[in-house]
Amino acid sequence: MNRENKKRKYDKRYFRTHPYTDAFTCKVCGWPVVSAGAGTNHRNHCPNCLYSIHLDNEPGDRESRCRGRMEPIGVWVRKNGEWAIIHRCSICGKISSNRVAADDNPMKLMALAMRPFASPVIRPEEVRQLTTRMEGR
Amino acid sequence: MSEHNFTKENLCPNCGKIWKPADRQDHCPNCLCGIHHEDDDGEICGGTLEPVSVWIQEDGAWEILQRCRLCGHMTATPMTHKDSRIKVLSIASKPLSTPPFPVEKIRELTRIMGGQGDIEQE
Repeated sequence: MNRENKKRKYDKRYFRTHPYTDAFTCKVCGWPVVSAGAGTNHRNHCPNCLYSIHLDNEPGDRESRCRGRMEPIGVWVRKNGEWAIIHRCSICGKISSNRVAADDNPMKLMALAMRPFASPVIRPEEVRQLTTRMEGR
Repeated sequence: MSEHNFTKENLCPNCGKIWKPADRQDHCPNCLCGIHHEDDDGEICGGTLEPVSVWIQEDGAWEILQRCRLCGHMTATPMTHKDSRIKVLSIASKPLSTPPFPVEKIRELTRIMGGQGDIEQE
């Protein structure tokens, strides 16, 4: 284990090949986050508020100097039917996609998916005109 | 090749529609696909950017989130008034139609994980 600790301290590429399994506290909502229960080894966002921190440029390299909060801005469905959260860094604007974990807050996930339906940008009148045209009237 | 043409007509590589850009639009209004010209390091990619989700900004504006089929890079592009409403709504409603957990159990599941948020007002 000693050798492993040393490797982890000095090898800059350590987290590219090894998952980070230590517990941490969410910097946004203060949630104590542990590695267990995620259904995956790569816990990359807070299960309660779904926020992440901009640490990596490439997965696991810990090379980003930004360290900004990554806000969840949407969800999408991957080819295998699994959801992924889209994060956007509030400082530099980098967008990245992360798999959902098994114990992510279902309320906040659903709120992200429901967000487009509360927006007034696509107006009901516009959709009504479109459906009238589609019906050929 | 590397710069997008904002003045002339474009041929969409995904659906084959010929479209003219309106207000600095860089994606096809029919299928919302674009071309990933360059990656962050300035290398030419050339993959197709396919729409995966929509992002509603704080001020209410919509952006289409696209993902490169070739390299997986994600970008956001502003939605324009010409974009197909059917395609936009279809993308936005895809997560709702395939939820990762039973929707009717959402309150129980949130209570189990101890998370914040509720459907009904207390």
